[in-house]
Amino acid sequence: MNFRLGRLGIAAAILFAQAGAAQAHIVASRLGDFYAGALHPLTDLQDIILWVAMGVLAGSLGAVRGRWLVLVFPLGLLAGLVLARISGALSAGPAMNAGMILALGLLLAAAARIPTALLCAIAFGLAVMRGAANAGDLGPETDRLLFAAGLACAGYAAITLIMALTLAFRRPDAGTSLAGTSLEWRGIAVRAFGGWVAAIGLMMVGFALAS
Amino acid sequence: MSSRIFASLLAVIGALVLAQPALAHEQTGVGGGLIRGLLHPLTGMDHLIAMIAVGIWGAQLGAPAIWVLPITFPLVMAFGGVLGVLRIPLPMPEVVIALSALILGAAVAMRLRLPFAAAAIVVAVFAVFHGHAHGAELPSAADPLAYGVGFVVATGLLHLCGIAIGTLTRWPAGERLIQGLGVVIAALGGYFLAQSFGAAA
Repeated sequence: MNFRLGRLGIAAAILFAQAGAAQAHIVASRLGDFYAGALHPLTDLQDIILWVAMGVLAGSLGAVRGRWLVLVFPLGLLAGLVLARISGALSAGPAMNAGMILALGLLLAAAARIPTALLCAIAFGLAVMRGAANAGDLGPETDRLLFAAGLACAGYAAITLIMALTLAFRRPDAGTSLAGTSLEWRGIAVRAFGGWVAAIGLMMVGFALAS
Repeated sequence: MSSRIFASLLAVIGALVLAQPALAHEQTGVGGGLIRGLLHPLTGMDHLIAMIAVGIWGAQLGAPAIWVLPITFPLVMAFGGVLGVLRIPLPMPEVVIALSALILGAAVAMRLRLPFAAAAIVVAVFAVFHGHAHGAELPSAADPLAYGVGFVVATGLLHLCGIAIGTLTRWPAGERLIQGLGVVIAALGGYFLAQSFGAAA
């Protein structure tokens, strides 16, 4: 037993001591620009807040309304990317981004039952805005097709997962024996999250105005 | 005994090899802004006790205060934050913040049952002043957006903490405990009030 532990200890020490640097930044490899496109929005706090808020809003409205975003959102990102490349600079200003955070937060906090067409329009507009913002990372040597594919895949995966999580959180059979109470609290939790998002948006609107 | 030594050795080797360089006073970028925003409401005792008192009072008042509070309070506070960002001055902010702890603590201690609208107005006024104090710090943060996220999350979690404490009102002993806590909060508020007037060191 002691010998085995000793051998394990020595093996672990050797493994730790010989650990090399992780080659995480694979930009130089063949599909590097795909990963650059996929990871770029995930490293920007504005993208994270806006995407999460959009996904939660769509999920809170139910699967029937939200499922359209699985297609609309990635397409909007691609449209924004293309528009930014064609027109040069199309990136929205900080006030626009902050206003969008505020609007999404207020819709969530108010538990507004917006129609599917309006939800899709908001999602498409947001995606175009953020797609254009992400185009700022396109360099002359970047493979645009791979970057766009990565961005669209990230948008698809993020919005689908967040909507699915929200739906699972709010689904009617998620409660226990106190199903009614549980559902009520789940709805309040989603609205409280919206209040937090709206508060962040409001402060950033103020900051954009002050700047 | 030997196995314990080997296990300890293994743990020590792991800890030493995996140790990262200590980044003392790392206040840059998203991480720095987030940490500063998270810590700002937590490190100011007057803010902290007032936020918890709001949560407890909301729980004591029951519906609709208990669910309206977590949804609207951060928003009202952010409005105060905007005033702070825009450098719009408020009258006697330190006094009102200290007063908020005193009054909210007293409300918890006395189980004050105001009509919902009146309670909402009282809390909203205090929220604007607390938000103003936090918002004034935002432009100087390493990352203003991250600071805003941290500040809102910390405030929301403090409310939830207060609401969780407030659920003790279901039991008679818990109710007395909460009332005692209200007395402590009110006393601290009184101390901060005296301090803001320069009467206490």
